[in-house]
Amino acid sequence: MKKIETTLLNLKNDIAAFYKPDLHHFMVMNAVEVGDKIEVQWFFSDYAHPCETTCFFALISPHEEIPSIKDIVVSAWVAEAELVDLMNIKVENTQKGFVLEPDFESGPLRKKK
Amino acid sequence: MAKQYEIPIGAQHISLLEPLHFKFTTENEKIVATEANVYYVHRGIEQACCSKFKFRQVSFVVGRVCGLCSISHTTAYSQVAEKLLKIEIPLRAKYLRMLVIELDRIHSHLLCLSHVAENSGFEALFMKTMQYREFSMELLEAVCGNRIQYDFSIVGGVARDLKPQVAQSIMERLKKFIPQLDELMDIYKNNWTLSLKNKGAGAITKEDAMRLNVVGPFARAAGLAVDVRNETEDLLPWKEVGFEMVTETTGDVYARNMVRLRELYVSIRIIENIINGLPESALVTETKAFPDGEATVRLEAPRGELFYYAKGNKTQVLERLKIKAPTFSNVAAMTEAFTGNEYGSAPAIIASYDPCLSCTAR
Repeated sequence: MKKIETTLLNLKNDIAAFYKPDLHHFMVMNAVEVGDKIEVQWFFSDYAHPCETTCFFALISPHEEIPSIKDIVVSAWVAEAELVDLMNIKVENTQKGFVLEPDFESGPLRKKK
Repeated sequence: MAKQYEIPIGAQHISLLEPLHFKFTTENEKIVATEANVYYVHRGIEQACCSKFKFRQVSFVVGRVCGLCSISHTTAYSQVAEKLLKIEIPLRAKYLRMLVIELDRIHSHLLCLSHVAENSGFEALFMKTMQYREFSMELLEAVCGNRIQYDFSIVGGVARDLKPQVAQSIMERLKKFIPQLDELMDIYKNNWTLSLKNKGAGAITKEDAMRLNVVGPFARAAGLAVDVRNETEDLLPWKEVGFEMVTETTGDVYARNMVRLRELYVSIRIIENIINGLPESALVTETKAFPDGEATVRLEAPRGELFYYAKGNKTQVLERLKIKAPTFSNVAAMTEAFTGNEYGSAPAIIASYDPCLSCTAR
């Protein structure tokens, strides 16, 4: 797995420069709690053989809003909606209530402090 | 503009196998827009795996993510844990994992095909397909001890060996299954009524499949040659046992049926090759290490790419486990592919997606 660090400011530019729909496959987003911060990850693979997994990641504060990459990777809205519900991370233009009921307790996968 | 109607289908509906909800906007029976909701069965398995269970127990927990493709989940988890433990499993265990994955693919594909037939109004074919599928369930029980949710892959290898009489039984049953599969292929391919229902229904193009990051038979039916078995060979040697990519071009329900049926022939060949060349070795690599660092694994489940991410912290309990099921990747395309189709075709189209909300919501 190749990890590439980015920032919320550069995220869209970095992914736009990397992602080619005919070469790369967007897999999923993930979030891992690292101390008081959250490491948000965007996973891509490529269609080549042998294939490599590329992970863009950004360290954010729990209340920061991350930009949506829907205009670069159309299908990313599903992963973004999941992250909003399960990890209680704010994503640009994404409401809660896709993976969980809208009135469900936010962020059930976050560690209880 | 014709009057628009909104028609909900699910979460509980006679034509849905899974608890998902679609809201179709229709004009004169044609679907013009679709909304999907998948939030009915979240069970918090990832959270449980990182709090309630030790990392060796997790392979049994993730086997409960899905009844149909539990071998894919237990194998993918075992592989990601083995990466964190930095161990190599014995060769025989690799072959046995591939054997059960392919047996599982046979029963999963046949289940999907039967439901497409049922939702297309062809109940006799549904029953015939389910009848022919039974052998694969019996073989899985003989190999793993369970008809579903087999705890076969464990961290470090596999839990059971393949007995010679079971291996012989697999070869005999596969031989009997081939003419049955030929018969199914003939019906799904040539039956005029079924083709009226399935040809052109729920079609997506190869470009859309790429744009929407579709995986599995859904993608391959549209001509997108994407199969993890073709891309990664570091963990399981798929090409050594005869893997061959299957694609179609039309991207409709009919093409998905064809991809699944043709993949059954490939699975049969892989199983026969595995049994004929099964190497002798131990079944498990023992270690007393604890998972450390982070790792990812991709594995081709019957519905497409399954992705596992795990992070360990040198303790018995994982720091984070992330599961991405194939259906999750296909949700975006599932909602788009309905557009332009008749509302009456929706049940067959949904069945042809082979959605698994049990995996997706986990």
